Parts: sequence; C-alpha cells; structure tokens
Amino acid sequence: MSAGTPPLPGPPKPQAKALNCPNCGAAITLRSFQQAVTVVCDSCHSILDAKDPNLQILQKFEVAVGESRPFIPLGTRGKMRGVDYEVIGYQRRSITVEEVRYSWQEYTLFNPFKGFRYLTEYQGHWNDVVVCKQLPVVNPNLTSSTPATAVYLGENYRHFQTAEAYTKFVLGEFPWQVRVGEHATATDYVCPPRVLSSEKAGNEVSWSLGEYMYGVDVWKAFNLPGSPPEAIGVYENQPSPVSANVKAVWAAFGTFVALLVALMVFFDVTARKELVFHSTYEVISGESKAEASFVTDIFELKGRTSNVEVTTSANVRNNWIYLNYALINQDTGQAWDFGREVSFYSGYDSDGSWSEGSDHDSVVVPSVPPGHYYLRIEPETAPVHPPIYYTVDVKRDVPVSMFFLLAFLALLVPAVLISFRALAFERSRWSESDHPPIKLSQTEDDN
Amino acid sequence: MLRKLYLLYGIVVLGSAGFAQYRGMSLDKMTELKNVPKSVRDNPGSYRAVYMGYHHYTGGK
Repeated sequence: MSAGTPPLPGPPKPQAKALNCPNCGAAITLRSFQQAVTVVCDSCHSILDAKDPNLQILQKFEVAVGESRPFIPLGTRGKMRGVDYEVIGYQRRSITVEEVRYSWQEYTLFNPFKGFRYLTEYQGHWNDVVVCKQLPVVNPNLTSSTPATAVYLGENYRHFQTAEAYTKFVLGEFPWQVRVGEHATATDYVCPPRVLSSEKAGNEVSWSLGEYMYGVDVWKAFNLPGSPPEAIGVYENQPSPVSANVKAVWAAFGTFVALLVALMVFFDVTARKELVFHSTYEVISGESKAEASFVTDIFELKGRTSNVEVTTSANVRNNWIYLNYALINQDTGQAWDFGREVSFYSGYDSDGSWSEGSDHDSVVVPSVPPGHYYLRIEPETAPVHPPIYYTVDVKRDVPVSMFFLLAFLALLVPAVLISFRALAFERSRWSESDHPPIKLSQTEDDN
Repeated sequence: MLRKLYLLYGIVVLGSAGFAQYRGMSLDKMTELKNVPKSVRDNPGSYRAVYMGYHHYTGGK
C-alpha cells in the first residue's frame, strides 16, 4: 500500500467503554463491551449489572485482609493459541476437603471476535479452559471400585474429584451473573493433559475443557515480568514427564532383547570353540611344590585376537586342588597369570545329604593374540590325599554368555526405573483425588 | 526425549556386548605380564606365580 492511499474501510476498532460506579463513583472500564453480564468495582467491591445502563448494584462484598491479587493484572493482553486476548475478570474460588481449604484462581479472557476463554491457576499449575462445544457422555461408576468416566470428542476421561466450589473473591467483568458466596458442585474428569469439568448450580450444568499449561508459557503468552510461581506437587491433569515414554521404552526394550538374543546366537554359531590342548595329569601325595610345577606342550592359537577358555576337571571327593596357571606366549613372553580351585565336598547330616563345589572349573583368558603358547601349571592340594587326576582343556574363541546377561540387565534397569517413576507420578496425582491409590499401611491398619 | 535417550543407550549397550564378545574380553580375574623369560620353559620352578599363597577352602559343611 502506498503512503498516499487512504485506509480501506473495515469494522471499527473496539473501544473500551468508561463508566462510573454508582456506589463510590470510581471509574469502571468495560473491556468486553456488550458481552459482560456483571462487572465488579475495584474500589468498593460492588458487583454491578453490566447490562443495565445505570449499572445497578447487585451485591457488595467485604474483602478479607490479605486477599491475594491476581498474578495477571486486569487489562493485560496476551496471545493464547495464536489469538490476542485481554484479561477482563478474576475470581478466587475454593473447595474444602476434609476440613482443608484449597483455593485457586480463575481469569476471564476476552477477544471481541473469538469470545471468552479462561485461565485457571492452582499452586503454580495452569489450565487453558474453554467452554465445551458439545455435551460429554458420562458413564456413572457401576461399582464403588470403578471411577466414573466421561467421553468427550472420542476421548475417555476418568473421574477425579467432586466437590462444592465456593466463589470467594471477584474482580473485573464476567459473562454470567457472578456473586461472592455462590457455590456449585464441581466435578473433574481427567485425561492428561486435559481436564473435563462440569459445574452444577441448581438445574444448570455447564461443561468446560481445560488443557494443562506450564507457568512459563503463561508468562510468555502475556509477557509478564519476573517468573511464574513454582508448581507444587502433581496436578490432576499434569502430563507425566515419563508416562508417555513407558510403553515406547518397553517396546524398545523388547526389540533390544530380541537383537541381543540374535547377537548371542550369532556369536555362538560363529565362535570357533576350537580345542587346542587336552591333557590329563596326576598329583601325587607328598610331592614338594618345586617339583610340582611343570609346563605343557606348545599349542597354537589361531585366528584373530580372541579369548581362550581353560577348563580344569578333577576327581576331587571331599578334597580340593588349586592350580597356579600361567598362559605364556612362547614368542613374545606375554603371559596371563591366574589361579583356579577345584573342590567338591559332600556328606550327610541331620538335614539330609548335602554337597558343595564342583569337580570342574572354567576360566576365560581375555583378548589373547594368535601365536604359540604353553601353560605353566603349579598344582597345590592337601598334604595328604589320595591320588588326584585332573584334566586341562584349552579352547580358542568361546562365547561368553555373561556379556549378554549383563547387557540384558543394563537394558532392563532403566526401563524398570522409568516405569517406577511413572507409577510414582500417577500415585502422586491420584492421591489427591476421590480415588486415592491403596496404601500398604492403610490395608494393614484395616486388618 | 527419554525414549530417544533409551534408544541411544540400548544401542551402546548392544554394541558394547557385541564388541566385548568379538574382542574376546572376559570378566575373570587374572594378571597380565610382559616379558616372561624363555628360561621358564626349561625351569618352570623359577616362575613366581602371582596367585600363590591362596587360602584354600578345606572345610565342607
């Protein structure tokens, strides 16, 4: 558009209407034009009939000392879901459960073309609320253990809480006949991050749908100074940071376990498991240690750098044999030194027969390069013993199932922790509802 | 985010298990030595075993 072109004709810009309170004379600004039903004087706290040209006084109420002011001042403009809204009304409401009063704030937002929407705040938890466009279908609970549900736009909502909500303080404009002290039966059904609420006053029932918002998003939407109040606890429709991931994580866990099994089978099939040395020896009673040590014949380890399994089998019966092993590379002088015991005991006592130990033992020597090797063996046993025969087997490249077991546990632990975290979050959520999770201590007390 | 982290973690775990198996690693306790003299083959008693002096179980139940 060029500078000289006159502006195109369009709808006139909405202008706020200024009036005076008939009670105290204070200026009252009507921001919602002809839409508001009641308006509250901020000076004398008179509730006025906004539809009446003379602003008839409908109610006057006393403000308690220390009454909290709204976090978002009236007249503040912000953008919700991409639409500009102005805060025109504020009320504080409360319910009393088990002699404890719980209060929350409700903000009325207005856009001249889009109408009204609401923001609620309870202990730092915010909800963006709109009036339902169609009537939800409520399925009352058939048994006391099953909470009622409500279906709205194809989504199932679980009954959370029903309580009598009282209006304690009002400010600004409202599209209904607001009164301090009025009460309604408020029922919440949740399907995080949404909450479906019904309010029944007399024969009239109104339904609204709320969606959880984080305080920072509200602050950002209204460009508010400072930071929002910190959220305390878990709110009824607060989305769990982990619940959504639980199914996905377990699905991933299942896939990983399948891959792990496939990997294990692959290594088991492709491992050489080549027997490169086999020999049987005898330990004679009364031999000195110096005489006992000896070396085996040289054997060759082929292929890539891989492991070596040394298995010892001995005819020990209520006896033991200990073998100081050294697997030595004849060419490079590299050696792996390790000691292994083979022991087996059995007997019979008042508890019956018993046994412990085993007549064989295996050990895996890690990452042994190919080459020519021999074993230096130094057996030890009890000073007096019957002849012990032991067999030494050396295998090249054997599968080690322990790695896969550890990998399985490493995959399982985070999945279990995530599930527990999600469970704890849900327990915390529902502990504030009419359907709290059963506590172990409670059931014990009941018994 | 958590799912992505778990996926990444799972890949690392699987990769580590596969790598450990491929490289022939082991969880068994042993000591690696360098430059063991060739004379050990002729005189095995000259070798000082690291695991000597082990306290053997001699009891039973």
